[in-house]
Amino acid sequence: MGFSIEDGPEIETDFYNFEALNFPPHHPARDSWDTLYITDDLLLRTHTSPVQVRVMEKRKPPIRIIVPGRVFRRETTDPTHLPMFYQVEGLVVDEGVTFAHLKGTLEYFIRALFGEKLKIRFRPSFFPFTEPSAEVDIQCLVCGGEDKACRVCGGTGWKEILGSGMVDPQVLKNVNIDPEKYSGWAFGMGIERTAMFSYGIPEMRLFYDNDLRFNRQFILK
Amino acid sequence: MKISLNWLNDYVTVTIPPEELIERMTMIGLVSETVEEKDGDKILDVETYANRPDTLGHLGVAREIAAMLEVPLIEKKWPVDELDQRTGEVTDIQIWDDGLCPRYCGIVVKGVRVGPSPDWLRRRIEAMGLRPINNIVDASNFVLFATAHPIHVFDLNKLAGRKIIVRKANKGESLKTLEGKLLELSPDMLVIADEEKPVALAGVIGGEETGVAESTTDVFIESACFDPVSVRMTGKKAGLSTDASYRFERGADISFPPQAALMAASILSQFGGKVTRGVLDIFPKPRKTKSVILRLSKVNGLLGTKVPGDFISRVLKQLGFSAAEDKKGIWRVNVPTFRVDIEGETDLVEEVARFYGYDKIPSEITPLRAMEPPAGKTRDRLGRVRDILFHQGFDEVINFSFADPDKENVLNSGRKPIPIRNPISAKASLLRTSLMAGLLENAAWNRNREVDDIHVFEIGNIYFWTEEGRAERLVLGLLDAGPLGKPSWQARPEMADFYHIKGAVEVLMSGLRYEPFVFEEVSHPYFEDDEVLSVVFKGERIGVFGHLRKTVLDAYSLEGPVYAAELDLTGLFEKQPRPFAFAPVPKFPGAYRDISFLVDRSVRYQDVRRAIERLSIPCLEGFELQDRYAGPSVPGNRVSLSVRLRFRHPKRTLTTEEVDKFQQEVIGHLKSGLNIQLREGGQN
Repeated sequence: MGFSIEDGPEIETDFYNFEALNFPPHHPARDSWDTLYITDDLLLRTHTSPVQVRVMEKRKPPIRIIVPGRVFRRETTDPTHLPMFYQVEGLVVDEGVTFAHLKGTLEYFIRALFGEKLKIRFRPSFFPFTEPSAEVDIQCLVCGGEDKACRVCGGTGWKEILGSGMVDPQVLKNVNIDPEKYSGWAFGMGIERTAMFSYGIPEMRLFYDNDLRFNRQFILK
Repeated sequence: MKISLNWLNDYVTVTIPPEELIERMTMIGLVSETVEEKDGDKILDVETYANRPDTLGHLGVAREIAAMLEVPLIEKKWPVDELDQRTGEVTDIQIWDDGLCPRYCGIVVKGVRVGPSPDWLRRRIEAMGLRPINNIVDASNFVLFATAHPIHVFDLNKLAGRKIIVRKANKGESLKTLEGKLLELSPDMLVIADEEKPVALAGVIGGEETGVAESTTDVFIESACFDPVSVRMTGKKAGLSTDASYRFERGADISFPPQAALMAASILSQFGGKVTRGVLDIFPKPRKTKSVILRLSKVNGLLGTKVPGDFISRVLKQLGFSAAEDKKGIWRVNVPTFRVDIEGETDLVEEVARFYGYDKIPSEITPLRAMEPPAGKTRDRLGRVRDILFHQGFDEVINFSFADPDKENVLNSGRKPIPIRNPISAKASLLRTSLMAGLLENAAWNRNREVDDIHVFEIGNIYFWTEEGRAERLVLGLLDAGPLGKPSWQARPEMADFYHIKGAVEVLMSGLRYEPFVFEEVSHPYFEDDEVLSVVFKGERIGVFGHLRKTVLDAYSLEGPVYAAELDLTGLFEKQPRPFAFAPVPKFPGAYRDISFLVDRSVRYQDVRRAIERLSIPCLEGFELQDRYAGPSVPGNRVSLSVRLRFRHPKRTLTTEEVDKFQQEVIGHLKSGLNIQLREGGQN
């Protein structure tokens, strides 16, 4: 679909990880991105989004990138949380990019990943670096919404799989892209959680135990 | 935020069934994580966002629902039982720092009977998952959960001078909180003080001494706004997060303090209280109304929709905005003070989108106007690395980037580790300076579970300080131990050894066309001496491999031998591999000659190889070591090597004489250069 793959550093500055992405200092929005710090200014990136900023600083639109990578959170380990995991992120910036484009492109991506006839819904959410923001749910692959006690979807029939939105004009301004001329959309998703959902893997920890009896099941054949 | 459906009915008439309400709330961004049945009520646990403090109370959530259902928001009246005395005659308020406290309102209620709350109030408090305490405390919590505006109630008669001063704490001051904890205050903290001392930590928690007790009759109700950053920093420093600080640090409604004060006073009137006349309102710098321009063209241009203008006007009005359509399709929108999240036009576009319905926005594929520049080669090369190693029988692993300082010490990589200031645990308090620790953990984990064929690789960053600052390098690590494959009825598998790991490195280097490369003897912190080689490409050391030291294996309780390799991919990928060039398929037969000779043990095969290569015989297509022997028939200081030479001419068949001549040339050169001694019958 015309995207190129980009990388960025895992040790980031507060500027790239937060400020340039419209997280003001000391704002509670930072609470959802619990951070491991190295110094006052250096930290382990809490998401792959700083790479958006680095790419937009260097290149002018049109931009179409995919950014996979390790991210870090100061979180207590439980079946669905680890202090390190992988994200994959996408960004499009061009003239005339709309929320309709975000929807259509992500629907195509999600159906390619999970199946043609899947029900998908976009619902409002909040991320400091997108406006409007949307979370994307897909129909529960485990119970299909039939089981009120389903452990995967909690009986709602929906499973949240990615966050997305239109790039906040402030983020574009921060990298000297004129938001009156250009607009963009972005998405991000957790790789392990998506794999857990797709394959029915109960514990995120399994990805990092490196028990070869687990790893060998995923050898590309 | 817990939301009681019964409580919502105070503010909005909901005519649709609860299931439908919950579903539709989700689609405007109010997701119920859980729904709990309680005494005929339904309690939703609604996920709220850091930018929407107005939804941290029932009023704000009701406003959203009213807009969604297009019904009016019900305005509740809060009548008070008023005294003749004006509030200002009974008490006094001074703000000494209006940056950190832009507005402070107070009102006094006299003659309140402290006691258990009436049923209606108890039910509300219990719906929030709290235990009712007494009517005054419950009334204060009621106001908070109803309106999202925190208030605080002091025992008026315990305030020295019956006076409030909002100021920064002085050095050495302390406060015993309502929770009974003694807090040392610092001069950057904003406090509420009476004439003598601090009585509350502003916006965070009240003091025990001036709190409401059984004996309380007259109360001072505080309803104020505090600076979000100050409340957050103070709360963090004091280790406190309260329902009040949670709201203030997200931003309180600057217009609301008088209403919240009256609402609390009204409830206390129900418990026999008489309220002083008028809210004492200190608001040194009233703020201008925020206004934002909204263009219809922006709404539809950004959303890709055809939302009609009258829909936009209607939604904004429902949500409490006042929107004047200056020109057709352009509104000047005044933002109500409770919407601290609205900064610019796109914030309003989101409001329109939420109520228009994300599901009604069309789906289109993003047009492709220009292709991205071709990506760097790194990803292709990494794909190649993986393929090559999978084919060699290696499995991929991924380990955490964190490292245990003790294990780092054992490996002693020589790189200066980067510590994490607030690590998850002491055992994960550094960033790894080598992939080896993780790979060794993987080996130990699998051995302990009877998986013995451990041939794994990891591709990942290592991190260390350099003179210039932080460094991240992409590294390939391999660990190689145990049987190569599964035993079968025909044969027991071979075991990984030095030559297996060396072979893996060679195949990898050749497969990526990083040729020619050489091996050099080195010493290394985690490989046994004399069982380690470095791999060098274009004069630069790219990696190292060999037999891991026993001291290292012991730290992981691993039985040896275990072989490993580490290659610096960042360094390698900066270099140009040999370009691929097509070679014609030979049309004429080749000729083969073997030579066997004795040579000093100190001479490595690599030296022999280089010597032959230096001859540049055009018809020498290639050569391989066929045999290496040291035993009884060979003198102790020497070793026997057999090399097969392959000759071929591209345009004709070579004659025996020509091949003989080439062979003699090689022998002669090796004799003079490396002092070889041809073995008996050592050439054929």
